[in-house]
Amino acid sequence: MERAEILEQTKKVIYDCLPELDGTELTEASVVNTDMGMDSMNFILVICKLEALFDVKIPNRQWQKLSTLGDVVDAIIKYKK
Amino acid sequence: MLRFTGFAHLLRTMAALRGDRPALASADAPEGCLSFAQLLRAAEQAAERLRADGGTCLAVVCDGSAACVTEIFGSVLAGMQTVLLDGMLPDETLALLVRASDADRIWCADEELAQALRAAPGTGVTEGAGRILFFTSGTTAQARAVVLTDGSLMASAWNGSMKLPVRPEDTVLCMLPLAHVFGFVCGLLWGLCCGACVALGRGARYYAQDCAFFRPTVLPAVPLLFGFLMKQKLLNPELRLVLIGAGDCPSALLDGARAAGLSVSFGYGLTETSSGVALSTSGDPYAMELCPDDTAEIAPDGEVLLRAPTCMMQGYYKDPAATQAVLQNGVLHTGDLGFLDGAGRLHITGRKKDVLVLADGSKIFCPEYEAKLSAALQTASLAVVLSGGKPALVLEADSADETRVHAALAAFNAQYPRGQQIAAVIPYPKKLPRTATGKLRRWQLQEELNHGTR
Repeated sequence: MERAEILEQTKKVIYDCLPELDGTELTEASVVNTDMGMDSMNFILVICKLEALFDVKIPNRQWQKLSTLGDVVDAIIKYKK
Repeated sequence: MLRFTGFAHLLRTMAALRGDRPALASADAPEGCLSFAQLLRAAEQAAERLRADGGTCLAVVCDGSAACVTEIFGSVLAGMQTVLLDGMLPDETLALLVRASDADRIWCADEELAQALRAAPGTGVTEGAGRILFFTSGTTAQARAVVLTDGSLMASAWNGSMKLPVRPEDTVLCMLPLAHVFGFVCGLLWGLCCGACVALGRGARYYAQDCAFFRPTVLPAVPLLFGFLMKQKLLNPELRLVLIGAGDCPSALLDGARAAGLSVSFGYGLTETSSGVALSTSGDPYAMELCPDDTAEIAPDGEVLLRAPTCMMQGYYKDPAATQAVLQNGVLHTGDLGFLDGAGRLHITGRKKDVLVLADGSKIFCPEYEAKLSAALQTASLAVVLSGGKPALVLEADSADETRVHAALAAFNAQYPRGQQIAAVIPYPKKLPRTATGKLRRWQLQEELNHGTR
């Protein structure tokens, strides 16, 4: 799967989980906490949905290092291999 | 209700009384469950192994598994100093805490992390038997270890169960980190000392599934977690009792829980008092009755002063000056503000250290001030600190548009006397420092700004 496609599907999951972000442009540089207003619980929810969608397991200890949307996409690609 | 003097007393008594009944339900236990007899046997085997290994202080990187619980009990039974560390902390922080606690042995299920931590073991201790160290944010820039004992933790569990008993037929779901005293006492010991089954949550990845999987009847939770479970409609119908601690809880959330037929209690305590000293049991969730062993009085400045003789910490680890600053003649100066109502129930109104004393002698109560700022600026990513004796707004980078901030601040400032108006806006280039439960680490932020280390 191409990176661009992973990014688009990731954004869709985030919009589904956080409907309040509707209309907000998300880019690879968007910061999880500030730009998306995602608290830690919502972040866990999003990651779990992404893991199920992409059939990937990102180690828990890596979660805290995912700062931007681009980091999340990188992690999906890295651990999908 | 049985009162236990320590972990050995708990495990041996419950194995004798409820030997074949489930003690721990866990994904890593054989057939998903350990009985009280099996738990005792596993803890004794761990103790035997640890004694033979010759260490004096074991740092346990907590992952919430049955193996982790067994190792903690085993370490205490073996007479070692036991240090509980949060497995979600960064590697470097964990290494620092291992050294700071003098741990000469490490238990960590994550092999890669264990390897990294083994590179810098501590020197070991003498006379550490019975000591259990919990790290807390404290009031300085360094995380500080609070020295508790298995006796103080069991006393705390007993205190809580006298106010809010768990039934032997209950299942308590422990989703909280065991390295935090609220999680350890209310998530684990509270249920075990009442003879109930404690279901060990499977970690953050399973937050959305654990209630449906374990079908708990009792749930200790922090506000953020409980809010998430409520909002996502993840609570199971068998759930009857929720104990909320470690942070303020929006009243709308409590109302929603009660409307759903749940009994919701609110707890107040500190790591220094081995967890809760007061609980609400009915009616007003913010009016908390003191536990049997504990007494409180209010200092003239509004600070809550506590006596908790059975649950009080021995002190901060290797820091007698810090201990003396807060614990004098058995009285703990909590740093929290509150009052006792006509019925002697404790109400917490805020943090003493959340009060800024300005250069003109006036004061700002930060939570209230920040709530108004958040509403005005439409972002929660802010804090107020003292800069040159005046209030300054610290704003996370990119959290708000600069033009809008300045327009909103003008209107905000107009509500306050000149001395209490925001005098400066300090951009903060990263996330504001917060505790695991989302509380702002104001002391850390202020120190960073004072010393220009951000």
